Amino acid sequence: MSYVLPGDVLTLPTPPPKSLKLGPGLLMLHTPGNPVIAHRPGVLHSTQKQQHWVETESRRYIPASQESVIGVITYRAAEAYRVDIGGAHQASLDVLAFESATKRNRPMLKVGNLVYARVSLANRDMDPELECFDATTRKADGFGELKDGFIVECSLGTCRKLLDSKHFLLPSLAQKFPFEVAVGMNGRVWLRAGSVKATVAISRAIEMLDDRQTSDEEVAAFVQHMDV
Amino acid sequence: MSEMEEIVGSPFLNKLSGPESRFEPLNSGNLRSDGRRPLELRSFEAELTTHPSADGSASVSHGLTQVTACVYGPREAKNRGLTMHDRALVNVEVSVAPWAGEMRRLRSRGDKRTLEFAASIKSTFEPVIQTTLYARSEIDIHIHVLQLDGGLLQASINATTLALVDAGVPMLDYVSSLSAGLYHTTAMLDLTSVEESDLPSVTVAVLPRSGKVTLVSMETRLHVDRFEEMFKLAMEGGKVLRGEMDRVVRERTAALARQMEGGVALKEDDKMDTDL
Amino acid sequence: MPREVEPSINQREFISSAIQEGIRADGRAPLQARQMVIRFGNELGWVECSLGKTRVIAQVCATVTRPFLERPFEGIIVINSEFSPMASSAYETGRPSEEEVTISRMLEKTIRRSEALDREALCILAGQKVSIVWVWTLRVTLHFLSDEGNLLDCACVAAMAVLRHFRKPDIEVVGDEVTVFPPEERAPVPLALHHQPMCVSFAFLGPKNALVVDPTHLEEQLANGTMSISLNAQREICVLQKAGGVALPADEVMRAVNVAVLRVRELNDIVTKALEKDSKTRVIEVR
Repeated sequence: MSYVLPGDVLTLPTPPPKSLKLGPGLLMLHTPGNPVIAHRPGVLHSTQKQQHWVETESRRYIPASQESVIGVITYRAAEAYRVDIGGAHQASLDVLAFESATKRNRPMLKVGNLVYARVSLANRDMDPELECFDATTRKADGFGELKDGFIVECSLGTCRKLLDSKHFLLPSLAQKFPFEVAVGMNGRVWLRAGSVKATVAISRAIEMLDDRQTSDEEVAAFVQHMDV
Repeated sequence: MSEMEEIVGSPFLNKLSGPESRFEPLNSGNLRSDGRRPLELRSFEAELTTHPSADGSASVSHGLTQVTACVYGPREAKNRGLTMHDRALVNVEVSVAPWAGEMRRLRSRGDKRTLEFAASIKSTFEPVIQTTLYARSEIDIHIHVLQLDGGLLQASINATTLALVDAGVPMLDYVSSLSAGLYHTTAMLDLTSVEESDLPSVTVAVLPRSGKVTLVSMETRLHVDRFEEMFKLAMEGGKVLRGEMDRVVRERTAALARQMEGGVALKEDDKMDTDL
Repeated sequence: MPREVEPSINQREFISSAIQEGIRADGRAPLQARQMVIRFGNELGWVECSLGKTRVIAQVCATVTRPFLERPFEGIIVINSEFSPMASSAYETGRPSEEEVTISRMLEKTIRRSEALDREALCILAGQKVSIVWVWTLRVTLHFLSDEGNLLDCACVAAMAVLRHFRKPDIEVVGDEVTVFPPEERAPVPLALHHQPMCVSFAFLGPKNALVVDPTHLEEQLANGTMSISLNAQREICVLQKAGGVALPADEVMRAVNVAVLRVRELNDIVTKALEKDSKTRVIEVR
């Protein structure tokens, strides 16, 4: 595990490998020698298959295609909803972009409703676009309106941790009580549990995880001693 | 200039006049400096539709304090970005005439005190006006203070209530406001400016029908135990004031109704049966 | 700057149903406040207060100036509130928003109008001729660093803590001459405080308008109404501001006043303990 700062050069094994996969945070320069530098500060991760990326802590979401996000509807135009996903621009969600929606039969969402959607278009020159169905199967697959529940805002890194199936928090909470969760890559997590107390408990656990000053052990201890 | 406190009624000015004119809130006969009894209100006068060009207007005077309010709306918002999708936006602007106080003072529009004043009036009326009936529109309230002798907030709120009634804006109830002060153990209602600068005072605005209070504003030091009595008396006084406001509105409505029926203008002492 | 996005319907309904069960979103009881942490700087007259994630820095500086013409024997106190988008992207530098005006005015009323500081004690020279009067001008600057709800209470504690922390330079008056001694030569002098007002803010949430103390940002956005009360340890109300919002019966208002009395005692204890702890780390002559 090594920390890199913007401008640090990535040392590649010699001889240079045939295929190199550069993930977020790394850039190959077009200067002689084609050095790979980090342009974001963070922890450098590398895998055996020559995949490299930099894990950066950030809170501002930059839309990227095929990511799942949680949005709040802010405006309802004739053909599309305008959705706030926490990025620089509001995204647009077509009114028919839901599973089996036709002109006659479509979900009527109001301003203030929450949706779990997939970013279908994220181009730096246009407003991002969302869709509420899976790209390949065209089925809802969990996308669509999120009813009830509560939203917790956290950093993008925390969301990525929660999406990792090997991370300890969600499974250890699941041992205490049943709940539903939808994690958006835009720094928002939606929760719904059987009781208000349970929902508040999960939200506090996620906030503790998000707080950089509490260690993982403290969060695990909090979950252990949770009384719901 | 804005950092200086109110010069009106300052102890410095009193020093010039000498000890004989020292202000006595309550004299030996239990009368106030203007001859009123402690719980007596000043003469209340109200007139509706003082500005026919506005959608609604009213002019209110409590003794020497005179305030006019004009209401425009509900109408299309000037700034689309600030409107709310499911309710009307209420904007309040207050301007105090330079000649209103004891000494001539030109107050700038961005004066924090004035802005705070406007913000309190806005949040007083927002829950009372049925804003959900007018989505994405705006209701503008302009308040002009013409003469100031204490009770500014109370007069402004009462004037705004009547102006909104005149404009036909639907409201849950009248908002009736009154100031109260405490001299030793005697509570007094409807304070003049000399009384306000000398005694701890509170202004309350009530919704008289439900008896609940919507605005409470106190800026002077007072012990907790003595606060309650003064506060509750002010609320009671607010309910009485509502009766006065209601009387004015009904008289005017009666006159309008007569005009609408194409009747001949009746003599002044010919009143309709007003049942309060 | 665009307006802040309003909370979603889900948030609103959750907070509303939670408060009916007496639970708040961050696990607190309705009358429970967040932990107040006070940290003093190296210089005298600098303090950082944080209430949960809400943070405010207060700083005092004193200069010798002429008094106002109408009040020649009183010092001058200026309270300067610096809002910036650092606290929240809803604040712009430039025209103050309604919330900024409300907070600035409440602070002014709580500290200046209630005469917490003895202004006459700030007068340096009351000479024979009124034209050669000098007074201290104290400038209290509050920087709002982070807004996670209840900036007002945090700012008030910061302002009172900094006024108790600050020491002004010692002065000697001989005839018409004034000598200001730097802190190295003579120990600086604390300010004379008449009383210590603290502010307690409330929000009314849910269909039954339940009273909560120290609202978070989300609770402030979803509240039906808010109320702020400034009290001192002698149980005197300095400012009571319930500017509109939902209409309440008089007894609810009195209940809030009683809760505020207890909370102010707590806050004063916290500030006193923090000041004691800080004074142990300093080498100053305390008069």
